[in-house]
Amino acid sequence: MAREVLDTVVAAETPEGIVLELRPAGLSARFYAFLLDWLIRLMIAYAAGIAAAFMGGLGVGFWLLFYFLLEWFYPVVFELSRSGATPGKSIVGIKVIMDNGLPITPAASFTRNLLRVADFLPLLFGAGIVSMLLRQDSKRLGDLAAATIVVHQPQRPPKVRLDNVAPVTPVVPLGPNDQAAIVALAARAPTLTGERLDELAALAAAVSGDGGRAGPNVTRRVLGVAQWAMGKRA
Amino acid sequence: MTPLAFEALYQAEWQELEEHLDRLLNRTSKRSKEPLRGERVAALYRRACEHLALARARSYPAYLLDRLDRLTADAHQVIYQQRELGAAALWRIVARDFPRAVRANSTYVWLATVLFAAPLLIVGVLVYYQPNLILSVVDASTAAEFEQMYSRSGEAIGRVPDAGDNWAMFGFYIRNNIGISFQCFASGLAAGLGSIFYLMFNGAYAGGIAGYLTERGLGETFWSFVATHSAFELTAIVLSGAAGLKLGHSLLAPGRRTRRQSLVHAARECVVLVYGVTAMLVVAAAVEAFWSSAIWLPNAVKYGVAAVCWSVVFAYFAVQGRHAA
Repeated sequence: MAREVLDTVVAAETPEGIVLELRPAGLSARFYAFLLDWLIRLMIAYAAGIAAAFMGGLGVGFWLLFYFLLEWFYPVVFELSRSGATPGKSIVGIKVIMDNGLPITPAASFTRNLLRVADFLPLLFGAGIVSMLLRQDSKRLGDLAAATIVVHQPQRPPKVRLDNVAPVTPVVPLGPNDQAAIVALAARAPTLTGERLDELAALAAAVSGDGGRAGPNVTRRVLGVAQWAMGKRA
Repeated sequence: MTPLAFEALYQAEWQELEEHLDRLLNRTSKRSKEPLRGERVAALYRRACEHLALARARSYPAYLLDRLDRLTADAHQVIYQQRELGAAALWRIVARDFPRAVRANSTYVWLATVLFAAPLLIVGVLVYYQPNLILSVVDASTAAEFEQMYSRSGEAIGRVPDAGDNWAMFGFYIRNNIGISFQCFASGLAAGLGSIFYLMFNGAYAGGIAGYLTERGLGETFWSFVATHSAFELTAIVLSGAAGLKLGHSLLAPGRRTRRQSLVHAARECVVLVYGVTAMLVVAAAVEAFWSSAIWLPNAVKYGVAAVCWSVVFAYFAVQGRHAA
């Protein structure tokens, strides 16, 4: 399926022959996730430190061990959980998967998190940031070596509700993308103000034979075409 | 068939799959008494894949495609989830994969050994004959601290007074040593330069300290302290450096692969080495904290055990896993 260039969607084909569309998470989403994880780790380390303070030498050993695990394995443990995301990533709504769409493997998670060191070079994640900005799939070096990708978690699309709109047969032939665009407009309709909806519907008015006009009635007819596209017939 | 008819026809199957997935992904608080049937999930998943392909081919509306997209993507994640780190897999790494990986990458291992051992020997001998050269390796206060650590005055060898007990040191060695070795590996991504630097730096550092302490007459305490755990620790550092060199080399000379494929391939092999190295360093830290530091053990016993440990490590890499299936 050929795609227009402005989108960053990465296609991954499964053994069942369907194409999964992966939406790579960019620098800003990942930065916020990193920041949240950093804060969470800081709080855990602090809490563990307080607990360890009551345990003497054993406590110091325990704390150092715990801190080591927190430093290197906090992301690994969470990435291998069912959600595939650290708490920070979860909050931002992104997760880590293999770049062929499969869930991340332990070896890959281990690799990408160890190579964080390389991404940090020369300072403050310089290499990682440059790599993420240059690549369309926003991979840092660790992702490249581990063949992983950080993607946006798919969101549930809004249900189209057009119960009281009568279907309208389009006056021009509509390709799949045109149909999809009009149905998408219908799906957004409840979230738009009346004026904005009229404005947007006017752009598509040609499909219902109302080219050049605008207003609530035109909007109704355009939504009627959406109703038609979804299979409703008068 | 119209999209709405299509939806009405298969709605029930999609909902069933969605309910299963909700349970599998812990997205629902509803407790169901029915047992989860894996083969049913797989069958529903394949059906959903067919439906998605049909819906795409027939250009059904976006909301339908989106729903099927989401459904198949979630099911795909659940069905192909890999659990490769079970006890059996860990045992396979120890018994077979790790020593095999070391032998398979022997060129890198020898190169890393030279990069580590040469500065160690050269700086060691130089500092032994010219003790004030130690100041070009560490600063004066660090040198003094090391001297204090290995004088026989404390209750344990190898640590400054009041540094804490064995457990505290165990934690410290784990954090410090495994951190160093991870760094040695990961920085190899910079065309191998990072690994070369860390190998040489750590070699020179260890050599400098060894030469200095021997010259100061603390050789007996120092060598008896380091002899045992170094079997695991130095080998592990060298191996992580070797893994880093491999990573760098895969980028510099990808051969018939693209650079990215070559890197992914090398990283997949290296990760076995890093697993093994991590395990070795945990052993090293335990030995260092609980055995090497014991002041009441006669040196003869320590050297004897050290000889056994070194032999075991070499034998392990030389023969382990050669004939295993």
